Amino acid sequence: MKSIELQRDTQFIMELQKKLNNSDYTSTWDLFSLTYDAELTRMAPAFTGLRALDYLPQITFMEHQIECAEQVIEDMNGRAILADEVGLGKTIEAGLILKEYMIRGLVKKALILVPASLVNQWERELNEKFYIPAIAHRKNYGWEHGEIIISSIDTAKRSPHREEILNIDYDFILIDEAHKLKNHKTKNFSFVRSLRKKYCLLLTATPVQNQLIEIFNLVSILKPGHLGNYESFLERYGKDRTKIKEDIYLKQLIQKVMVRNTRKETSLNNTKRNIETVWVQFSDEERSVYKELENSKYSLPAFSKITYLREICSSREACFLSLNKLEEENKDYSTLDLKHIIQKIEQLPHHTKAVKVIELIKQIGDEKVIIFTEYRATQLYLQWYLQQYGITSVPFRGGFKRGKKDWMRQLFQNHAQVLIATEAGGEGINLQFCNYMINYDLPWNPMRLEQRIGRVHRYGQTKDVHIYNLAIKGTIEEHIMKLLYEKINLFEQVIGQLDDILAELDIKDMGKEIQTIYSESRTVGEAKIKIDNLASIIQQNQRLSEGEVDQFGSY
Amino acid sequence: MAVTDLNKFLATFFSAKRCTIVENKDGVLTVQLTEEMDRALMNRPFYWHYIKKMGNQGDPMQLTLVTNPNKKEVKGEWIHFGSPRLQQIMNYLNQNEKYTKLFQSMNVESNTPLYPWLITNIKVSYKGKHKKDELISIGLHLVNGSMKVEMMKELSSVPLQQMIPDYCYTISPMIKLESGFKRIERVIDDYIERQTHDWAEESIHLLKKEMTLLQHFYSNDDEENSEQQMEKELKEIKNRYNPTITYQVINGGLFYLSPAL
Repeated sequence: MKSIELQRDTQFIMELQKKLNNSDYTSTWDLFSLTYDAELTRMAPAFTGLRALDYLPQITFMEHQIECAEQVIEDMNGRAILADEVGLGKTIEAGLILKEYMIRGLVKKALILVPASLVNQWERELNEKFYIPAIAHRKNYGWEHGEIIISSIDTAKRSPHREEILNIDYDFILIDEAHKLKNHKTKNFSFVRSLRKKYCLLLTATPVQNQLIEIFNLVSILKPGHLGNYESFLERYGKDRTKIKEDIYLKQLIQKVMVRNTRKETSLNNTKRNIETVWVQFSDEERSVYKELENSKYSLPAFSKITYLREICSSREACFLSLNKLEEENKDYSTLDLKHIIQKIEQLPHHTKAVKVIELIKQIGDEKVIIFTEYRATQLYLQWYLQQYGITSVPFRGGFKRGKKDWMRQLFQNHAQVLIATEAGGEGINLQFCNYMINYDLPWNPMRLEQRIGRVHRYGQTKDVHIYNLAIKGTIEEHIMKLLYEKINLFEQVIGQLDDILAELDIKDMGKEIQTIYSESRTVGEAKIKIDNLASIIQQNQRLSEGEVDQFGSY
Repeated sequence: MAVTDLNKFLATFFSAKRCTIVENKDGVLTVQLTEEMDRALMNRPFYWHYIKKMGNQGDPMQLTLVTNPNKKEVKGEWIHFGSPRLQQIMNYLNQNEKYTKLFQSMNVESNTPLYPWLITNIKVSYKGKHKKDELISIGLHLVNGSMKVEMMKELSSVPLQQMIPDYCYTISPMIKLESGFKRIERVIDDYIERQTHDWAEESIHLLKKEMTLLQHFYSNDDEENSEQQMEKELKEIKNRYNPTITYQVINGGLFYLSPAL
């Protein structure tokens, strides 16, 4: 066929001639035939099928992941949006696709753009799981060196990196959290559009957050024109995202460039979440301190008062430290009243929740347990207290350096029974080997709670997940638990859904929202009513969006 | 033959590279590397640089390679098909064991002629929207011009050595290596010509379709950079779908074989 380009090997025969003339090293028969055998083993004799599966016997892929990789390579020809719901293994799918292309010799040069906080995790996963020699971009390291480079988009788009990168022909581009590219007017978007690429994967759990034009923009990176041009698309679909389910034609078109698996359809459903709220009663001494704080006559700013109340629900130490600091900073507060409370706290016995935690861990037995707390003081206290009972634990904080985080994770996996993490530790580590979690105190931002759960209940989890939420009766913990979290069914929610709803309601930080409610309410009763209202609004929006999510989920 | 027995593959490799097999039992292979192999596989150029500077001999490492999945608890590297070490060795072969000159071993006591053959193993890759490979092994008799395919299979029962055997002498080629190689290429050209290439037609169809879409995408666009952007994207589409066939010689060489073959 004339239209096929033919590339011959011109070098070999000249080289052979030269070697023979110079009597250079030549191979023995054994090595010569091993070389032939090796090639026979490594080549890809068919257009279809995944060779990579033979190369990765140590990974157990889930069915939807293999299907996804095949679909992207064979039907979508290597340009696709991977839009699985959070926790179904988009990274695994992307790794498998990249591996396959590398084995077939179709990808040599690749650029992987991910959020800065995930660069190391991507590097580790690609190296350890997939044996893909990817390296994180370092300062003073040229982009033209190194075959597979991982970087954050913010670094890549800045001069002088930008110019260097735009001069390279990439075989493969991957962009994680691609929903950040939904706006075509941003620098990120135009940067990605101008990359020179062959294959391209966009990873996002939320391909459409608000407007249909967002998906148009994502598709324009992969296959410009696939959804028509900008004007015609805008005219036809406008800004309404509900049209996506009405228009079968559009849906089909999108299906040609997007793979979306939902938890409902995949076998991840097999592992369940068992959620149990464990109610705890304050001891009399504790309750009296709590009441005293709540009714304190001296003019504590309402804002910090709530903080102290939350702290005393967590540990004596957390509250003690804050009050002490308050006393030192503001000598005018140092009324007898405050001194009195501090003294009372000093004399409190072990926190009733800590006692409960020991009981719970004993009940769980030899299994690994993660405890989340909001306060560092509580973290330290718990570590000491667990030790008294011969329970080994390691701490984990967001502030740890990457290397220390990995080290702690490993210690936990191999040596300690318990990992005690503070809030910021919630992001960026995967702890699927553990399936028991204790929420020692609850964050006021439900997204953070979701992230906590997401650490254990995700792809790779083989057992049912057990989550225990500790809450103290008759305190603000009870309000949050009962009025808010239980009402909006937070614990059963699909991740991501709530995020969308909050965004739609324009609630940026739920924690702040609640704090404002408390500080602006004169009585506990008033605060309760306001929280109840907030929960109702969220609930209402949940119902509204449910139908829509179902439609969208079936992509 | 494709590699199925990894242990055998590795043992053959290291023996051929003159490394001592310390132990080989139940799919656990321990070898003492030579300096050459240590340098090639162990990735420690600074060590060797330092040791040689100091005028020392150096101490090549031992390597334990476990191919038996039931022996994973043994201290060593677990070798499976995709493991980096195996791939490294295969890459090593691919880069370093490409050329050869061999003689058929003969046990003769009278003068015996050996005839020259050019033998090449050529990988033909078909790349359109997808890609596949085919490995073709061809031998050309450099005196009478006859050709044989599946040459590697043919040779598997022939003992071969690097030195010319006693009482044997070689016949000079009538066909030069370069023109011999051209003849081999022509045979492959012909083989490709005779195939139907649906894969290429499909790719071209797709190529045209995506180019039309792209042009439509930019039809209303009059921003300044759009033409440049469109050119870039057209190139990408061509890059991705344009059907190409590539010949790559995996290895080959000059063989002197008895006329009986």
